[in-house]
Amino acid sequence: MFPDLRRDVLYPIVGGVVLFALFVGFGLVYQGQLGGAERLVTFALIDAVIVLGIQIYVGNTGILSFGHIGFGAIAGYAFALSAISPAEKAKRISDAPFGLADVQLSPWLAVGVAVAATLVVAFVVGVGLARSGAESGAVSATVITLALLFVTHEVARNWPDLTGGDRAGLSFRIGGTLDSRVPIYVALLVTIVIARLYAQSRSGRLAVAAREDNLASRAMGVNPLVQQMVALLISVAVVSVGASLRVYEKGSILPGDLFFNLTLVTLVMLIVGGRRSVTGTLLGVAVITAGRELARRLGQDGFEVFGIGLDDAPLDWIFRENLKSVFLGVSMLGFMIWRPSGLLDDWELDRWFHARSARSSEPPTDPLPILEPDDSTPLVVEGVNVTFGGFRALTDVGIEARKSEVVGIIGPNGAGKTTLLNVITGLVESSSGSVVLGGADLTSAPSFEIARSGLVRTFQNLRLFTALTVRENVEVSALVAATSRRHQPSPDVDGLLAAAGLWEHRDRRARELDYGTSRRLELARATAMAPAYLLLDEPTSGMSDSESLLMIEQVRRMAGLVGAGVVVIDHDLNFIIGICDRIYCLDCGEVIAHGSPAEIQADPIVQAAYLGAAAQA
Amino acid sequence: MLEVSGLTTKYGEISALREAGLHVGSGEVVGLIGPNGAGKTTLLNSIAGLLTPSEGSVTFEGEDITGRPPEDLVRLGLALVPEHRRVFVDLTAEENLKIGGVTTAGADRAELLEEMGERFPMLRDKWTTPAGYLSGGEAQQLAIARALMSEPRLLMMDEPSLGLAPILVDVVFDLIESLRAQGRTLLVVEQNATRMLDLADRAYVLRSGEVVAEGTGAELRGNKDLFDTFVGN
Amino acid sequence: MAELLQNLIDGLGRGSIYALLALGVAVIFGVMHLLNFAHGELITVSGYAAFWAINAGWSWYLTVPLIVVVSVATSLVIERIAFSRVRGADDFTLLLTSFGVHFVVSAVFLLYVSASFKTFARPGWVTDTYSVGSLRVEVFDTVVIAVTVVALIATTLLLQRTMFGLALRAAAADFDTARLMGVRSDSVIRGAFALSGVLAGIAGVFWLMRAGSTFPTAGINPMLKGVLAALIGGLGSLRGAVLGGFALGLAEVLLRSRLPDSVASLTEGVVFLLIALLFIFRPQGLVAVAHAERV
Repeated sequence: MFPDLRRDVLYPIVGGVVLFALFVGFGLVYQGQLGGAERLVTFALIDAVIVLGIQIYVGNTGILSFGHIGFGAIAGYAFALSAISPAEKAKRISDAPFGLADVQLSPWLAVGVAVAATLVVAFVVGVGLARSGAESGAVSATVITLALLFVTHEVARNWPDLTGGDRAGLSFRIGGTLDSRVPIYVALLVTIVIARLYAQSRSGRLAVAAREDNLASRAMGVNPLVQQMVALLISVAVVSVGASLRVYEKGSILPGDLFFNLTLVTLVMLIVGGRRSVTGTLLGVAVITAGRELARRLGQDGFEVFGIGLDDAPLDWIFRENLKSVFLGVSMLGFMIWRPSGLLDDWELDRWFHARSARSSEPPTDPLPILEPDDSTPLVVEGVNVTFGGFRALTDVGIEARKSEVVGIIGPNGAGKTTLLNVITGLVESSSGSVVLGGADLTSAPSFEIARSGLVRTFQNLRLFTALTVRENVEVSALVAATSRRHQPSPDVDGLLAAAGLWEHRDRRARELDYGTSRRLELARATAMAPAYLLLDEPTSGMSDSESLLMIEQVRRMAGLVGAGVVVIDHDLNFIIGICDRIYCLDCGEVIAHGSPAEIQADPIVQAAYLGAAAQA
Repeated sequence: MLEVSGLTTKYGEISALREAGLHVGSGEVVGLIGPNGAGKTTLLNSIAGLLTPSEGSVTFEGEDITGRPPEDLVRLGLALVPEHRRVFVDLTAEENLKIGGVTTAGADRAELLEEMGERFPMLRDKWTTPAGYLSGGEAQQLAIARALMSEPRLLMMDEPSLGLAPILVDVVFDLIESLRAQGRTLLVVEQNATRMLDLADRAYVLRSGEVVAEGTGAELRGNKDLFDTFVGN
Repeated sequence: MAELLQNLIDGLGRGSIYALLALGVAVIFGVMHLLNFAHGELITVSGYAAFWAINAGWSWYLTVPLIVVVSVATSLVIERIAFSRVRGADDFTLLLTSFGVHFVVSAVFLLYVSASFKTFARPGWVTDTYSVGSLRVEVFDTVVIAVTVVALIATTLLLQRTMFGLALRAAAADFDTARLMGVRSDSVIRGAFALSGVLAGIAGVFWLMRAGSTFPTAGINPMLKGVLAALIGGLGSLRGAVLGGFALGLAEVLLRSRLPDSVASLTEGVVFLLIALLFIFRPQGLVAVAHAERV
């Protein structure tokens, strides 16, 4: 669940408390300085809960949801319907369906009902999102969530018997609002801690991996849809609580309260601070709240700000009523153009604490054992045929490999090498043929299942989880292997990093690494899955001759750590000949030669394929 | 006509090209051969402005064109037939040619269209067919004709024989031969080294982003260790 | 039967405006991969121009071209100020940028004009109807459909028969290769925004004639229709956008007339629900863009 208890549980909890204290402290100071800002700060605290709820989903999955306030509306109404006294309800919705007019629960029970009801809807929506293939950047997800927002709004407006409709809404007895902020403080503290713990948990990390690179995450055995659902449910639960608190504090609910306007405000708060960071999100809430209030006051009260009077004439065309809307719009636009990742990007307070306090650790000195590969799980690929449109990419291709070997696949451009790899790892469907690993038929399995079964690949165009650190990249695979490959002895992450020469880079982000180190990381990440076979797609692409030779050593070492067999595609014949026990040569979608490196090198058919056949006489 | 020196292009951290250099004289046919992943396409794309080199320079007819965008280069007389042809699949063959001549004046363009129709009878039959329905060989002809529409002084071609059946490879090389006979200046990246060397005046061998050999077509063709040069023994 | 025909005509009338809006959205998406949530602002702005003009005594004959011109100008200004700076950014950023533009424009009007509706006189014939057999047909619908057909034909001719249209199509198909041919990225993107502005302008004329008013957030509704219709049709397909627009218009009218009275006011909601379902089961839209491929 949590790879490192100190970093993933202790520090987030402590850091969360600190964040809470800072945020509330700022709010109290602000309230003290500015007269009459109590209610503003109360709502800011509640909005923080809501925005953090949204952050849990949007930040970790990368899916832009416009619908969370719609979930909030459902929760708000459910709460109101459950908590308002029958006497009050009789005034507006005496004909409420399901006998709701006579129901009254204690507020806290009502919150529970609200959360439960909304979670049911969230589950259904989540299934819909999964079905539509939601992933970071997908338009369909945004549309579906936007539709949710509008549907709830329409229902709220047009079902007066249930919701009191557009004009009247539902309201509590006058004065029946929250009397103290304590519940809000509790909710906020708990929310901050949940948000941080989730991000550091197994599910959160896998969701982030899927956000960074959906394809690569599946190749490491992650099922993005499951993680996204988990994120959605947790986030909706939090938003539900926040929405209920909002309704309780306000004392009433109208359809427009939880609709477009709040959606825009919460979105701006999220992006200004940094949607990938809880710390950033809180900063965003503070900045936007203060900014809006400043804009509002400048627009209304004239130009006295903290006792400083501003000159009337040159600035009065800016300072008008409704300045705060402009402020919001300009903030959103400005940040998207100049700093789309927000003020703090994905910086977190507790991670910073942890990095500072980390006892400078020595790399593990005991070298990891080299495992003796056994030949118990042979990889047998037979009779693969792939056609793209009218083009025959692969014709009756088959290869075999054992865990004790390194098998190479070579051939000119367009020969079908990567297509073959894609078929084996489930990215491409073959019209016929089979892929069998140690007796298990993996032919039509989805890619994440194939990875979990023991076939793990790397990509020709590096696909690292760029925002994660070196260590976190490897941890993703280790987390998956811990649950899905329990029967395999998987190497300890520290030991793996050291063996791969990555120890000194372990806390650097993947995107900061130089090319050679990046390649080593990709290899280490794949190895952490404790696979039966490492399938490498052009691992030396872009490397100089000397770098390629170093790669031979690296591949041998990594494979040795887990006793994995290796199947490697590459164009660098020097590298291939140096590392492989057997080589297949493909051309035009067919296997044209197969043998030892010496045989292949001397084979005139292979030479002709590389140099091009002479002119037809 | 074209002078490239010390060109280094990176994809992020990857140096796909390391201080590569070559030159092409007016009227010459120069080949660029080498194993895959050697950086041949990167080199052409760096010259054509699709990629920006981090070091080095490209000079065309005395003018420094390093890092200039492709739209400018077409107007200077430098055209590229890209790898995989990249014809506009939903546009007809005729429309593909027209857009190839977007930088030419209207009247001249119409004339050029006529000319292309005559020179490429195989295409003339498919004038109104969406380019996506053309066979590989037809698409290759279309891509070449399209590039010719801008009346380039230097035509660069990236792997014209890629993915074509042997008979069509003949057609493509015959086409290159006829372009050469017209006195065109060509820089051609080819996977089919043997045939390219038969055709070219001079050629460069690229491996791992560096130029490792250079010579006339005949010299390199006769080189018994060409395969080893590719492999890098 | 008569009722069905009636619905058909009403639906086509509505759908025409949606089709124009959707086409405007699709054109920009084609070249920039940007889903323009600010598309409706063109109508908001030209609405204010119309308000000013009509109340200053202009006739509608002059106001109509004014609306179109203002729409085009606004479109180009927005491109220059906002979208040109985020070219090539990831989808999340592009989406939120267009959202931000929408927000800023409506906020500016809120600030400098007022939140209230600005009304203006509609042309007299807007509410006229005539009879065909047992049907009552609105003159307005007839005009809308006719003008839309002409506009679509004109747009098709523009795209199919001119070099500009060819450049747009090529850029939408393969931006980099279009540049290799010499197509200038700036020109083609600005051209797309201008075309989008014209289409929005025509749609805006009818929208405003119908509404007789404008207000700061007037742009939300047309934007939603345009964006949703383009999405329904399948982003990347101009034909699909037009189809999506008509489909949306017809769906709205049919639903309103078929739904039982108690639920009739939920038409908008039902439409959204159907759209959500469409995206769940067919995220690529109605017209799965099947590129010409050799079989």
